[in-house]
Amino acid sequence: MNTASGFIKALESGTKHLFIKRFTLRYPEQKLKFVGDGYQFDPKKGVGIAGLRGRHILFHDKCTGCQLCSIACEGIAEAIAMVKVDEQWKQNKKSIMPQIDYGKCVFCGLCVDACPFYALYMTNDYELSSYTKQHLIYTPSQLAIKPIDNGDVELKIGSRGATHG
Amino acid sequence: MSSLDEKIDEAKKLSMQIVKESDEDKLMTLSVGPQHPGTGHFRFIIKLDGDYIVYVNIDPGYVHRGEEKMCEYRNYFTNIPHLERPVIHDSANITYSYSLAVEDLIGITVPRRGQFLRAITSELDRINYTLYWLAIYGIFLGHSTMFMWPAADRELVLDLLERLTGHRITHAFNIPGGVRNDMPNNFKEKCLSQINYLEKRLKEYEHIFYNNPLFRQRTEGVGILSKEDAIKLGVTGSVLRASGVPYDIRKVEPYDIYNEIDFNVQYMKTCDSFARAYIPFLDVRESCHIIRELLDKMPESGDVREKLLSNIKGPPGESFKRVESGRGALSYHIVSDGTSRPYRVKISTGSFRNILALPFLLVGSMLGDMPPIYWSLNYWPIEADR
Ligand code: SF4
Ligand code: SF4
Repeated sequence: MNTASGFIKALESGTKHLFIKRFTLRYPEQKLKFVGDGYQFDPKKGVGIAGLRGRHILFHDKCTGCQLCSIACEGIAEAIAMVKVDEQWKQNKKSIMPQIDYGKCVFCGLCVDACPFYALYMTNDYELSSYTKQHLIYTPSQLAIKPIDNGDVELKIGSRGATHG
Repeated sequence: MSSLDEKIDEAKKLSMQIVKESDEDKLMTLSVGPQHPGTGHFRFIIKLDGDYIVYVNIDPGYVHRGEEKMCEYRNYFTNIPHLERPVIHDSANITYSYSLAVEDLIGITVPRRGQFLRAITSELDRINYTLYWLAIYGIFLGHSTMFMWPAADRELVLDLLERLTGHRITHAFNIPGGVRNDMPNNFKEKCLSQINYLEKRLKEYEHIFYNNPLFRQRTEGVGILSKEDAIKLGVTGSVLRASGVPYDIRKVEPYDIYNEIDFNVQYMKTCDSFARAYIPFLDVRESCHIIRELLDKMPESGDVREKLLSNIKGPPGESFKRVESGRGALSYHIVSDGTSRPYRVKISTGSFRNILALPFLLVGSMLGDMPPIYWSLNYWPIEADR
């Protein structure tokens, strides 16, 4: 290849880029929209439902305290501990429910696969940072809260390149 | 005698005491790394004679994590999350061959739709890895545009992976028996439009980087690894194919669905750094074709996962499976003694086999040629150390 034409081509392709829209997602102002409400699992069919694997959500009215989720996590991150709760549920005689330490969790979702009672799912919540390690431990009541999902930006491809929003 | 003469005499005596330079003193020893020469913690020691490298000693092992030993304490499913840590952005491929080996051991086959989904994630991850590698290659040669572009365009692939698997990296998606979940709604259209756009962008890469005379001058004819040497050294993947050997595991030992997929094995005969830099790029293009073909041929519905017990016992025996990852052949050898944990797991990665070529390529070349040669080997220290 001719050296001069090579340089010209390279410059041209760089200059063209000036007219392409910026790809950046302006994060705290803009938030991505995800598919569905997070990763879920259907134990009857034995397959999951696609979604982001963020923080877990625990349905207190379904959890039986069977500890299968905590056993599943044993070989992975040992993030789940079973703790006593004050609530009384018919299906949960021992009144124990999972408590998840997000300082250890790797968000693999294998605990969701292990839960046979549709009690543990994952959500689109990924903003979990905190100032202390203690605050990363989510108690069963904290896990029951449904996150506010306000992401509305999607990756779009237009005539002037790919953009967010 | 004047005081000046005395001083001259003294100086002469002193100069006699200065030790003369020996041959060894002409050499300068440089330690490249271990703090991040780019891809991860890795060190190589080089000795320089002037501007020429005369001695190279590679010293990997700074990021050894004991993955193989860890496998022996976990069951076949809980091994997945930690096994993908060595190459977080090519995690679909590193768990692919593990899943294949476990399935071979247990004796099951994955449902057809599951095989397609696996192949799609594997190809997406190959693109993901290669664009990341290309970004660092660019910045190492001082081409900062080539750092920005792939880093941004990688987002196209990451977005798809996030939709499909739930994570941008470390997907924990491949699992013995199939994949964790089916495709979300309208994934196919999204995937096609983003892959088509990525292909358009790849053309620009050629103009600004690969056909750029500066890049060509720095890489063409640098670090020649002849065909015979490449075979003798046992390098794999893009390094082997850049030396003129059309060897791709997807072609020679097709796993899952790859025997039904029509694609070309990319190889070049120039054997230099340029070829080794260009082959992964051609692979990305080929991956785009493969993804389109996979989406086209994929059955409309069906199972994606074979249901297995979470603490399944592997029958006593061995299995060996390999896949073509972003860095070459990636193989697992699993030995089972009949319990729910593997007795021994051996991981052989492309990175480790490719880095063995580094001393052979560097000796005799100039120091300035070190970055293009080191990078062209497609080396990922964490994967090599496991
Ligand atoms: S997502 Fe994985 S690491 Fe986190 S609690 Fe569940 S099983 Fe443990
Ligand atoms: S969340 Fe599910 S697996 Fe865990 S204790 Fe409750 S019912 Fe059992």
